[in-house]
Amino acid sequence: MLPNLRKALEGIVVCDFSWVGAGPIATNVLGQCGAEVIKIESRNRPDLLRTGGPFKDGINEGLERSGYFANRNPNKKGIALDMSHPKARAVAVRLIKKSDIVINNFRVGQMEKWGLGWEDVQKINPRIIYVTMSLQGETGPQKSYMGFGVNLNALCGLTAQACFPGERPFGTGTNYTDHVMAPSHTLFGIMAALLEREQTGKGQTVAVSQLKSAISMAPMSAMAYAANGETLGPAGFGDQNAAPHGLYTTLGYRKWIAIAVFGEDEWRALKKVMGNPAWAEDGKFGSLQERKAHEQELNDHVEAWTRGQHADQLMNELLRHGVKTGVVNDARGAIEDGHLREREFWSYLDHPVMGRTLYNRAPIRLSKTPLRLETAAPLLGQHTRDVLKGMLDYTDAEIATLTEEKVLV
Amino acid sequence: MSKTGSLSSLHILDFTGELGPYATKLFAGLGADVIHIEPITGDPLRFIGPFYQNRPGKERSLQFIYYNAGKRGMVIDLNKEKGREVFVDLCKGADLLFESFTPGYLDGLGLSYDVLSAANPKLVQTSITPFGAFGPYSTYPGSDLTCSALGGFLYLAGIDNEKPVRACDNQSYRMAEVYAAVGSSIAALFAQRTGVGQFVDVSCMEAVGMALETAAQCWDLEGVLRRGRGREAGSATIHPCKDGFIALVAIMGRNKVMWEPFVEWMKDEGVDGWEAFDSDSWINASYRESREGYDLFCRIFERFTMKHTKQYLYDAGQAHRVAVSPVSSGKDLLENPQLNYHDFWQRLNHEPVGGEVVCPGAPYEFGNLEWHLGDFAPTFGQHTAQVLGECGYSRTEIEALHKEGVVHVAEP
Repeated sequence: MLPNLRKALEGIVVCDFSWVGAGPIATNVLGQCGAEVIKIESRNRPDLLRTGGPFKDGINEGLERSGYFANRNPNKKGIALDMSHPKARAVAVRLIKKSDIVINNFRVGQMEKWGLGWEDVQKINPRIIYVTMSLQGETGPQKSYMGFGVNLNALCGLTAQACFPGERPFGTGTNYTDHVMAPSHTLFGIMAALLEREQTGKGQTVAVSQLKSAISMAPMSAMAYAANGETLGPAGFGDQNAAPHGLYTTLGYRKWIAIAVFGEDEWRALKKVMGNPAWAEDGKFGSLQERKAHEQELNDHVEAWTRGQHADQLMNELLRHGVKTGVVNDARGAIEDGHLREREFWSYLDHPVMGRTLYNRAPIRLSKTPLRLETAAPLLGQHTRDVLKGMLDYTDAEIATLTEEKVLV
Repeated sequence: MSKTGSLSSLHILDFTGELGPYATKLFAGLGADVIHIEPITGDPLRFIGPFYQNRPGKERSLQFIYYNAGKRGMVIDLNKEKGREVFVDLCKGADLLFESFTPGYLDGLGLSYDVLSAANPKLVQTSITPFGAFGPYSTYPGSDLTCSALGGFLYLAGIDNEKPVRACDNQSYRMAEVYAAVGSSIAALFAQRTGVGQFVDVSCMEAVGMALETAAQCWDLEGVLRRGRGREAGSATIHPCKDGFIALVAIMGRNKVMWEPFVEWMKDEGVDGWEAFDSDSWINASYRESREGYDLFCRIFERFTMKHTKQYLYDAGQAHRVAVSPVSSGKDLLENPQLNYHDFWQRLNHEPVGGEVVCPGAPYEFGNLEWHLGDFAPTFGQHTAQVLGECGYSRTEIEALHKEGVVHVAEP
């Protein structure tokens, strides 16, 4: 690679108390951009994700085999610091003095309990960007309602339309809001605060609500109801502005191809690839409006044509003719996809316990300061000594004492 | 405490359409000066529904109204040489340029990043496209469905042999946009510190890769091709109730501590057959995943849920520390007491339709930076003359450009 290229966030230090999903995903992106992320855990309180599968070779033992944890935490330095020990705060304070960002996604009150709420931290270092994350805000009648990404998907309106007509809603099949809305808005909030700090020299708080950030990216059901008194119905895999628009069975196990035809040019192109069959010339498929009116019949015709074909070959043929299409890749398909490979979206990093395993880059390519995946996720406490000695100026003797006193566990 | 912070010193050009506008909306929300540029044929998003009062019209697309509120708007024809000159002039004064043209299109017009950065070395240009600025698919056409499919995201939205369903609001576009905002803000900070701008390449297909949860690692570490969660009893399941559906996460893995409050809730409600839940068999994921386990769970639980509203189940479940939530419709969201406690919903006076459009409010809150929705989304060419004036064009020059069809100036 090009070793003389600089890193975009070189010199930015993150004091990272966050755990599980949304927080670590956000700091992962900062780390890939060159920030120094110091992840604080303790054997008495490890990141819960370390016990979540999948595990290397399916073996669920110890805290160092989780791929769920690993992919969210590359490039970070891990220190073991038991915050419940009275002497731990002084170590955290030294780190905060050297930091630009302090981030946590605990319940409200936890950081304050440790004497590290915003009021305290501001006194330690007035340049700190202090990030908190909540599900639904820190005040209000439902502030303490609990939920996982799946719950928030439902609450924010994403699940209702992700549904085949007549069936129960399904959603994304994942904890989507945790993985997308919360971390991405946290990242933008952090960057906005850093940009403002360039002008003012001062830090500030950034409080992200998972529910509100989710609605900001999925606003139409509420907006349409407010404007038109109309409930947007189950969308299946369809689209109001396109037909055919769907997923069609092809040869192979759980193999489908996505085809999305918006304009008349695209419809003509699809017809051409299909060999201009007689059925497609019927008036009931003559315009978008007509095709929407006879959508099920249209989809049946298209599927009768795709059913006997290989999805990848069909995709290439359709793309060459300007039809929007793509195979429905499973994870293996996406990992082995030549396009993503050429763009270096995936990387394999070497880990002392897991060996070489798969990570993904953030979906950002910066031409002069490329993102980098350099080191695998840290073992719990792997860098305690490096960070305390090299960055926080503790002596060997002090480190030995803190270890003995079970502060650094 | 009054907030005085703003990103108003950032000058941003937004030449995007269906794909792209949320990226600059994030900046506009914090006070940056965003100019939304449209081609002479109009931003395609203007022609996509749903429309205000269900009446199509150039100023009535709810998506256009939401994603472009808080921005100024102008119209330039890049197919004309003078249009390209105006565009380069605008880039000279900009910190950030967002565009979503097919890779190669701007190069073909003589407006490559090299040309633009020669005019303004600090310029950060962010390209948001289905597949990215390079790579074998880069010039292929793409849509939300096809990018979601290729990136492995769509596959997760289904179980067993079922075809996937699609999430609403073009999520692959939204993901690319929000990461484009993140990437360009990082590049902007670097440019402020070093004077060096750069090209930021963001693709929808990669962006959906951030939403695969454990799927890539399931394959890499265990050789397993996972699909969606949703048919494991009580673990990320959706259940019908009197007026809709609810989502439930009463257990994950072997977490008995999580399951106990659920059993307690069922007992307190006197649910017919609740005793069946008071058994360790539910702690076993393979039982929950079995046909027998899932069906039994639904039979007992749904006999109860069908008697109640989603709001009742939400409150009652949460009172027992069970992660229940309603599957919200648009109406539910507008009536949501937590959101209304925070005055989340904003009423945008959208002058071109002579009415109020309800829009989502701030996704976050800062100590000092102030979020605002801003003015209504610009009408076609609304600020063309104003922006050109700021750029040093005289009134006569602007009139001439308008007459020649190089730009479009809206009637005052």
